[in-house]
Amino acid sequence: MCLTNHFWDYFVPGIANGFLYALIALGYTLVYGVLQLINFAHSEVFMSGGFGGLFVINWAIADRHPHGLSSVWFVLIGIIAGAVTGGVVAFVLERVAYRPLRRRHAPKLAFLISAIGMSYFLYNLAGKEFGRDARTMKPPFTVTPSKPLFTIFGASVNLYDAVIALSAIIMLVLLDRLVQNTRLGQGIRAVAQDADTAALMGVNIDRVISQTFVIGGLLGGAAGFLFGLGTAGVSYTMGFTPGLKAFTAAVLGGIGNIRGAMLGGLLLGVVENLASSCFGASWVDVVAFYILVLVLLVRPMGLLGERLGRSA
Amino acid sequence: MNQRRFVAAVIPLAVAGLVLSACSSNKNSGGQGGSSGGKPVFKIGYEGPLSGGNAQLGLNMKYAVQLAINEANAKGDLPFTLQYTEADDQGSGDKSPAAAQQLIDDKQVIAVVGPAFSGATKAAEPKFADANLATVSPSATSPLLATQGWKTFFRVVADDNAQGPADADYAVKKLGITNIFAIDDASAYGQPLEKAFEDEAKKNGAQVTHQSVPGTTQCQAGSGNTQQYPAVAQTIKASGAQLVFYAGYYCDFALLAKALHQAGYTGKLFSDDGSLDPKYIEQAGADVAEGTYISCACADLSNDPKAQKFAADFKKLAGFPISVYSAEAYDATNTIIAVLKELGASATRAKVVEKLRTVDYQGITKEVKFQPNGNISGNAVYIYQVQGGKIVSLGLAGS
Amino acid sequence: MTRRDLRSVLMGVRARQLGTAVLGALVVDVMTGPSGSLTAPTRGLTGSLLSIRAVIFVALGVALWAFLTFRDRLATYTSRWTAAIAPSRLVADRRYRRAGYAALLAAAIAVPPYLSQYWQEVAVDQIGVYVLLALGLNVVVGFAGLLDLGYIAFYAIGAYSCAYWTGSLPIRPPHVFNPFVTIIFAVIAAMIAGVVLGFPTLRLRGDYLAIVTLGFGEIITIYANNLQSVTGGAQGPPKPIPHFSINLLGIHYQWKISNLPYYYLLLAFVVLILVLFHNLENSRVGRAWTAIREDEVAAAASGINTFRYKLLAFAIGASTSGFAGVLFASKIQVITPLSFVLQQSILVLVLVIFGGMGSLAGAVVGAAVIQWLPNALKTYVDKADLFMYLGAVLVVMMIYRPQGIIPSRRRSRELAMAEAGLVEADALTTASKEV
Repeated sequence: MCLTNHFWDYFVPGIANGFLYALIALGYTLVYGVLQLINFAHSEVFMSGGFGGLFVINWAIADRHPHGLSSVWFVLIGIIAGAVTGGVVAFVLERVAYRPLRRRHAPKLAFLISAIGMSYFLYNLAGKEFGRDARTMKPPFTVTPSKPLFTIFGASVNLYDAVIALSAIIMLVLLDRLVQNTRLGQGIRAVAQDADTAALMGVNIDRVISQTFVIGGLLGGAAGFLFGLGTAGVSYTMGFTPGLKAFTAAVLGGIGNIRGAMLGGLLLGVVENLASSCFGASWVDVVAFYILVLVLLVRPMGLLGERLGRSA
Repeated sequence: MNQRRFVAAVIPLAVAGLVLSACSSNKNSGGQGGSSGGKPVFKIGYEGPLSGGNAQLGLNMKYAVQLAINEANAKGDLPFTLQYTEADDQGSGDKSPAAAQQLIDDKQVIAVVGPAFSGATKAAEPKFADANLATVSPSATSPLLATQGWKTFFRVVADDNAQGPADADYAVKKLGITNIFAIDDASAYGQPLEKAFEDEAKKNGAQVTHQSVPGTTQCQAGSGNTQQYPAVAQTIKASGAQLVFYAGYYCDFALLAKALHQAGYTGKLFSDDGSLDPKYIEQAGADVAEGTYISCACADLSNDPKAQKFAADFKKLAGFPISVYSAEAYDATNTIIAVLKELGASATRAKVVEKLRTVDYQGITKEVKFQPNGNISGNAVYIYQVQGGKIVSLGLAGS
Repeated sequence: MTRRDLRSVLMGVRARQLGTAVLGALVVDVMTGPSGSLTAPTRGLTGSLLSIRAVIFVALGVALWAFLTFRDRLATYTSRWTAAIAPSRLVADRRYRRAGYAALLAAAIAVPPYLSQYWQEVAVDQIGVYVLLALGLNVVVGFAGLLDLGYIAFYAIGAYSCAYWTGSLPIRPPHVFNPFVTIIFAVIAAMIAGVVLGFPTLRLRGDYLAIVTLGFGEIITIYANNLQSVTGGAQGPPKPIPHFSINLLGIHYQWKISNLPYYYLLLAFVVLILVLFHNLENSRVGRAWTAIREDEVAAAASGINTFRYKLLAFAIGASTSGFAGVLFASKIQVITPLSFVLQQSILVLVLVIFGGMGSLAGAVVGAAVIQWLPNALKTYVDKADLFMYLGAVLVVMMIYRPQGIIPSRRRSRELAMAEAGLVEADALTTASKEV
């Protein structure tokens, strides 16, 4: 039954996961692009977005049962709440765990450790403040399994998958435009290509780096909300596994490369689900990492290569 | 230089904070510290995960132990004063010997509730046996533990070899299921339980498909991704199984149940004592959870006034409702207290071990009596079902 | 006067420092304050921010700020503080350093019998074994500059090799050995695994190597967990792994449950490895690693076979890890895949960097401090919040002393040059710009 039968039944949820991975992966890739550093605490930015979205949407929905147009508004409110929380946390993260170290020209691994420290700090703080059990969001729309939104090759696509895909596509397109066409995007690309030269040309590096963290945080936070909207809900440890997966996706696509992160995310999401159908859920990570190694052996810089500056 | 100032400012502050919190935590750490009024002080230790990914499971038990001790002290008829002490093993084998040693070093510790996890028990029990300090585990279910010849090992929970086959018999013989999809959470708890279930179900002539689905970080210290369940649900649906058996904890089981519901699976759901928790219904949703069978080697708590009082008092002390293994931890502690009462002020570690062999205590989950190997005797497994958003007892599995 | 200067005067440097102090105070307030819960998620925040606590903490923060600002003795204050934390000038002097190490070794031999059983246990299971692990990873990360995030996999390979050759796994070995003998098998197995992993992947650059090794670590853990009939699965080997014993030339000794004999065994191994690695560092090989770490292209240009030396570092690190695995398995007697998860790899990396990358003394001290800290903290803080405090310690430490507690002299020089703007602090950083 592996791959042939029910292929699309596995493919569709895989794509939905893939979009979430892509949104998170962009946070890793953007930061890597400008700093050449792995932001290990990005998974906690994602987690905080989940909590931000959760509290706002549960408060906004209260006792209502939204449907139709009001559902759209609530989803939008949730995304914005998640994104803003993620952006704020990412901003603070850069100020506390990155900027002071950059000032001191710390070795690269010191950044890694301070980011790991921030990650421990943030998720355990969330556990302390908000309890250590998963919480569920009040649904802004109703998913009826018997009545899917539409079908692709016989595989039903439910409303939740569609919401994720649609919101993710909109955000990804917006980001692509932002990096390509705005002054801010120019700054990011300039720093990514050569920070020293960019500084000489009058680019305020500190500000660009801060902005890059915030953009990554906005996307990661929004992903946190969309993730929490699903069956899993929101919990203080929710960041760890998706963070790891998204990081893998970013490397798969070529870290530092925006379109690479999108491609890597989608690919990883689909591969995981197909691997689950073929080998069982406990072998998914093994398959995913074998594929990663194979890809890197053939293309050492990932599928689309590095360079935020050039290929975006 | 701003940063240096920040650091210089933070460190004294952190110290001040620690002092403040240490003062406040001294105040509310359970038991009656201080005046023992000439009576000897006995400590009951608790070893379980209190930090790390499995901390919540550990807390479920910790407050039950504290509550039992507080109640016994409050009665005022003890010839000694009981105190609570704890050691954190993070649920892992590598931290467990040190945690055990911490309790052993404290000469006032007379008996231990725990260790909570099977792996931790395996690593720590040689130490306890060496020190002749009795341990009564509320939750370690691995069958291997009873075969090592430790004379200090006791548990108030049925092992997987009791529960798995009882579940399989119920599913196949009582419910008449022939096609089963059995899932474990790839943990030291789920794997052996699933194995015991699968073996018995196959012996009964049912067709069993097995898949291991790792537990998630938001439920336990697992490696699984919360997004893995839709794919698993597709596989289950395609297998045409009539019943899904899940060996694991409620928080992961709820995710699976929801994914199955969304995939359009209409068969039955069956899980074990790790899922006997109202939070399963809350997290899965009442309509999804409806009809789920859950087995447990523990009696029905809902009609027993003693159990009801325990649940209410627990919530007052802990700030959250009773959960998986809270009641077992309460029974384990009360069993130890019953033994101490008989022994009186002259109790020693060795005497407690001896007395536990012959103890017969009526707890809220079961009658506590131990077999020579430390297992609980009389492995009565009860079946529960979610009906109308509540967990309702269906009686003994075998009846 | 530029715009920037103007702004800083308007906002006031001191005002900003006051702000930092107050924010820091509030963070500490929340950290040590009451906890929230599922049903009352705001209780913790309101309990710590809208109560008298907040006033106390802010007052403390302001007082500290005032003290530091107006006494204006910050410079002397910090330098004195630095001296207290790490006597770097003393360390720099070779004679003092030798004496210091001798004193440390004497203390390591003489003190443990006077510690409680609990601390002896911690000294073996949690410090001793991790000192070995940190020393091994230090070769890979500190000497050769390779970022390895799957290091714990070799530890697992060592532990499971020991379990196999002592007959504890479900599959039987051809012959059952004493754990001492299994050290040889385990070290060879881990070394082979290191070479097999390293051979195709060491051509990858810094961060790609990190993710591949991370994946390797995950794969090993998953195999250990899933192959129930081979490894015993999540429960670990069904039979306990035997303790060490010697039965040679009429000497018979059996290590048992008590900790001191294990402690001295470990100490002997640690000293042995320290001597070995110290000589290695100052040999041709060590110099080649330094060259590769500082500038791989230049190293290759001057005739160093960079790939071979990197592979060598990888293999040495892996075999040390495998060696530690045997000691761990035989001491604890019980192993489960949970002891070999990614978080453990990260932990060992933290030990190395916290202690001081590339420095043998640093690796030992880092492991001792970081592994001791949670056990000491447990008495004072809510255990469930333990990792929050550890995280905060890591961040503060990296802000204040990114080179670690006892950095190697060469690395401090590299760092000083970087601070002066001459070169990048790390070869890992420069390499990414070339390609």
